[in-house]
Amino acid sequence: MSSHAPATPLGIDPAGTVHSSHEHHELGFWRRYIFSTDHKVIGLQFLFTGLVMLLFGGLMAMAIRWQLAYPWTEMPLVGKILFPETGGVATPEGYTMLFTMHGTLMIFFVIIPLLTGTFGNFLIPLMLGAPDMAFPRLNMIGYWFWWPGIVLILLSFGAEGGGPAAGWTSYPPLSTIETAAPGSLQGQNLWLLSLTFVGVSSMMGAINYVTTIVKMRAPGMTYFRMPLSIWGLFISALLQLFALPVLTAAGFMQLFDRVLDTGFFTPTNTTINGLTPEAGELAAGGHPLLWQHLFWFYSHPAVYIMVLPAMGFASDILSVNARKPIFGYKPMAYSMAGIAGLGFIVWGHHMFMSGMNPAVGLVFMTATVLIAMPSAVKVFNWLGTLWGSSIRLNTSMLFALAFVSMFIIGGLSGIWMACTAVDIYIHDTYIIVAHFHYVVFAGSVLAIFGALYHWFPKMFGRMMNETLGKIHFVGTFIFTNGVFYMMHQLGIAGLMRRTADPYAYETFAHMQPMNQFISICAFCLLFWQVFFVINFFGSMFLGKRVGRNPWKACSLEWVAPSPPGHGNFDRELAVHHGPYEYGVPGQREDYCPQTVEIDAAPTPVEEPVLA
Amino acid sequence: MKFNLFRVFVVLLFLAVPVLGVWTFVDAERWKMWFPEGVTTYAGEIDFLFDIILWMVAITFVGTEFLLVWAIWRFSKKEDGKVTYTHGNHTLEVVWSAVPALLLIFIAFSQMGAWSTIKMNFPDEGPYTVDAPMMEVIAGQFDWWVRYPDEEGNFRGEDVIDVPFDIHVPVNTKVVFRLKSRDVLHSFFVPKFRLKQDAVPGMSIPVWFEATETGSYDLICAELCGWGHYKMAGRVHVLEEQEYEDWLSQKRSELYAND
Amino acid sequence: MVVLLATTALVTPLSCKLEPRVPELVYSPNSAEIEKNDDLAQDEAAQAQLEGLLQFLFGTPQAPSYLSLQGWGDDEFYPDDWGYDFVATDDDWWDRLVDSNRRAYARQIEAIKEGDFDAVTESYEAPGVWDAWLDALANKPDDPDAEFDEGGSWRDYAVSIFENYYPTLRDSAELYRTQCFHCHGAEGGGNGSTAEFLNPRPRDYRHGTFKWTALRDKSRPRHEDLFRILAEGIRTTAMPNFRRLTDAQIHGLVDYVRFLAVRGETERLLISDFNEDERLSTQMVEENYQLVIDRWHKAADLVITYDGEVPRATPERIEHGRYLFTTPGEEGGANCVACHGTTGLGDGPSVNDPDNSVDDWGNPIKPRNLQSGTFRFGRRPIDLFRRIYVGINGTPMPEHIGQQITDSDGTVRPLNEEDVWDMAFFVRSLSTEPMESAGTSGPDREHSDH
Repeated sequence: MSSHAPATPLGIDPAGTVHSSHEHHELGFWRRYIFSTDHKVIGLQFLFTGLVMLLFGGLMAMAIRWQLAYPWTEMPLVGKILFPETGGVATPEGYTMLFTMHGTLMIFFVIIPLLTGTFGNFLIPLMLGAPDMAFPRLNMIGYWFWWPGIVLILLSFGAEGGGPAAGWTSYPPLSTIETAAPGSLQGQNLWLLSLTFVGVSSMMGAINYVTTIVKMRAPGMTYFRMPLSIWGLFISALLQLFALPVLTAAGFMQLFDRVLDTGFFTPTNTTINGLTPEAGELAAGGHPLLWQHLFWFYSHPAVYIMVLPAMGFASDILSVNARKPIFGYKPMAYSMAGIAGLGFIVWGHHMFMSGMNPAVGLVFMTATVLIAMPSAVKVFNWLGTLWGSSIRLNTSMLFALAFVSMFIIGGLSGIWMACTAVDIYIHDTYIIVAHFHYVVFAGSVLAIFGALYHWFPKMFGRMMNETLGKIHFVGTFIFTNGVFYMMHQLGIAGLMRRTADPYAYETFAHMQPMNQFISICAFCLLFWQVFFVINFFGSMFLGKRVGRNPWKACSLEWVAPSPPGHGNFDRELAVHHGPYEYGVPGQREDYCPQTVEIDAAPTPVEEPVLA
Repeated sequence: MKFNLFRVFVVLLFLAVPVLGVWTFVDAERWKMWFPEGVTTYAGEIDFLFDIILWMVAITFVGTEFLLVWAIWRFSKKEDGKVTYTHGNHTLEVVWSAVPALLLIFIAFSQMGAWSTIKMNFPDEGPYTVDAPMMEVIAGQFDWWVRYPDEEGNFRGEDVIDVPFDIHVPVNTKVVFRLKSRDVLHSFFVPKFRLKQDAVPGMSIPVWFEATETGSYDLICAELCGWGHYKMAGRVHVLEEQEYEDWLSQKRSELYAND
Repeated sequence: MVVLLATTALVTPLSCKLEPRVPELVYSPNSAEIEKNDDLAQDEAAQAQLEGLLQFLFGTPQAPSYLSLQGWGDDEFYPDDWGYDFVATDDDWWDRLVDSNRRAYARQIEAIKEGDFDAVTESYEAPGVWDAWLDALANKPDDPDAEFDEGGSWRDYAVSIFENYYPTLRDSAELYRTQCFHCHGAEGGGNGSTAEFLNPRPRDYRHGTFKWTALRDKSRPRHEDLFRILAEGIRTTAMPNFRRLTDAQIHGLVDYVRFLAVRGETERLLISDFNEDERLSTQMVEENYQLVIDRWHKAADLVITYDGEVPRATPERIEHGRYLFTTPGEEGGANCVACHGTTGLGDGPSVNDPDNSVDDWGNPIKPRNLQSGTFRFGRRPIDLFRRIYVGINGTPMPEHIGQQITDSDGTVRPLNEEDVWDMAFFVRSLSTEPMESAGTSGPDREHSDH
């Protein structure tokens, strides 16, 4: 057993949890798999829960696409469940509920938990050479605080009036006045409560990640020897620490507006659907724009929470499979920090058209376009990494390359949105939809797939099937572009977001065939994930067993056994150099693990098993 | 070096992104998937600004994607596994930070003129100004109503004219109006005008445009306003000056009609 | 294999075409009414018979059609063409309809005139006109300008398909499904999926009562009245305007709404008249059906008109209006104050009277706040004149013309048209200050002191 003693975090002895495993004390099923304090188990809990939510969110996207392709016709499969009273035809309020819940689920229950919950938990201690998180119990509580959020958001579907339907941004007064929309009856309360739980869960995670990264690095693991995945997770955790309180507070303000009849966001003299804020009925005197400021102060940084870790994973996967050090490690880390820093002063670009003082828009525009600079630096550095490399085209590499390719599209299209004058036209059109799906789906989700293929051997000790993986990649790549690319042109032609039936407008009438093409691509995209599901769950039981380091990678997690036991590492760790020492000249092997000094005779930790 | 079909396929796949990507943009106009014809004085300016960015973006897009494709093609066939061992290049980093930064700042500054023309500098002479607007457009769930003042220019008089759906304005005139909402957020969007502005309850937001061509144009609500958002349509009719005057006086007489 | 699969994947979405299904609507029985008739409620066979009978009389949502009774043809009354006959015989209405069709189908008409028949493509939500065009295209002679049909060329005929398009009941039922169904329900019961969240609730046509008419005797609305509702919407309610549709389509929807109202009213009469002895005899059915149709026929004769020009408001007239408005009925006034309150805020003493807080459809109702500036059926003097004159169907707002009032000199006389004008002017003067638009300057006008 390891005698390695990590730096004691904050004077708290983590032994309480770690020791139990050291003493070969067998935990019961419940402590081991359900209420586990082991960061790896918690990471996998986030993973499985997140994947189920991904399926829900994906099905909702299909329902949306059906309505856009064939408005007011019977939705196959899900229609009868979602809209029993109309025989499976979407109702207008049901459509608003669908895109609201699609956005909410995908952002708060899929992307953020998959990136930070799953990989943050799984990778941070392993990559830093720590036996577990700084606060293992807090970590466990963090996961279980997510569940009330899930339960509440799922309950909201059954609420009187249906699920919340004010958009994932929940702009008041649509969201605060109960009569404004069917979904604003009870559904919106559940939405707000749910997001509060999710926020608390994320907050616990973020505290844990930051503390662990600051305090529990293995000897010799300086900040600039951390893999870029850790940098991405570190910075997004900091973003959450600073931004989440604002959303939580704003959420409570909205809840108070709804439940206690305060008037933070309700303007005076509004009559909505027959309800007038009269004395005693509803307070007023607030301002709807206040919510937009508070909401975007969180939610714009949240966009970076959704992409920075993905950038980190892509960097790691690229470097490992290009067999070459990452190009410009420090600029990569600095540019992530730059994106995050700028991310706090750009929220106003969501509000150019909101009625905010136009002069302020100019300031937000300048700050926003500058974010493209660190993003460009990252892309160039990824290209630099590939230059002169020796690429292994395995599935995870393909996904990482796809991430780079797609991120270029998503990043570049963002420049239009940042520009005030052009934004007058394209604000809230499909070009916005294309942009953020290229970043969040084609970027982050593809990077998550890549990361799953890459770290699957570490998680389960088995390989995923490469052929199935490649089939999965090819279809996913094609259909992703099939779905989202033409949305740019739809947006340029003026097509609005969140419109249940755009074809009744003369301006949009000719767009139905294009939307049908997009929808069919979307159905194929969802169907194609069958290959992933088969591969993922099949490989968990049938995949080829692997040793510690199947990819011949340098970072610390590959020093641990696959899968790592409690306490992670079974040997003393000392870090001698950065995480990307591939192809070092004069070495017998083409990689040099962080635990091995470059000048010393190359002694790989274990003979790797290569796929 | 053995021929590997899959490698070729992957390279083609990645190559398809810039090739098809550019083609769809080039061909978009033919499918009517491009800007509808602009009919205000500032529409051309916005399209031009869009095009400047489009060219910059297109060059960057094609350049980086081709580099990526080339890198995948060129560096995925090595058998010997020899790589260039480098941790980066300081000069390169400076160059590819500074050049985008300068371009981006240029883009930002190029926007400011048009933005301030459209949203900040309202006509201070002419028939309509911010203080004496031509009309009030009032958004509500789920319709647009436009109110023209009475003959004294008063928007609160008994003889104001309220019209649903159809907004009539004269051509070649700087039209200033105030945008209001009676319940939730809405957004006034006329694609061919390149004009968009949210309507916020509790605010009276001035908006201006000068239409250059007569015709009828779709008005669309661009901010989620509830279950009926999709059907919140309107139409802006741009008329010859005389036609507009006739229409307005006809409306005034209809006010006291006995039908 | 990967390459093969991927190529297949690429081709699939391009070649794939899905045929979406549209679930058929059905007219549900008016179960709330059936509950009220004990004889019928316990007699399932009679209920089934009633349902079959209604289908015989009115068809299904897929094939709606009136059953013509004997003698209707002699009076040249063809109920399926009810709206068409009205519009086509009135030049103004017909010209506007043709104009609107020309605008909506400009693309198709131009293509036909240029002879580019392939460029004639379907417009969204115009199933009837499209079917007629396909039919015409199938019968196209080689020379489109050859004589085709009663002297005109085929080309003229093809253009007229688009220009003179007037939807059938069946076309309109199709449009109703996408535009109206989700609030008003398949049978027009005001019970669509969205209905229960709306305030006020969508109209239940089956009573045959419509609030916004310009007619005496609380009669059924005219075609024009319903057209106006559809074209302008009802402000501050969830009923939007449908001006984005063509005039023809709106006329068609009016036809279909009337059809549903006739159907629903007939159903209600049959249910309430059902008894163990007579059951659903042919005579009873025929009488009730005829009765409902007659009610709708009568409407056109009952429109409220005012002989002469609309008068202008003067301070004296407004003052007299104020007197009538604010004086309670027992003191000889028009008693408006009882519900609308002295300042017109809708806070009069009888607001809490249970009889006054529910409308005929059983929904809660409040007196209008007359300061809000919103008058749901128009704010022109003539609109308010008609409103005060006749009241609002189905609500506690009563008819005022002929009501006994006492002048300041003590004479008791019926309220006449001039008095109605005075009250209209007073009400108009109440609403000059605010808009219903939220928040701008000024005091909170919606605030009430109760």
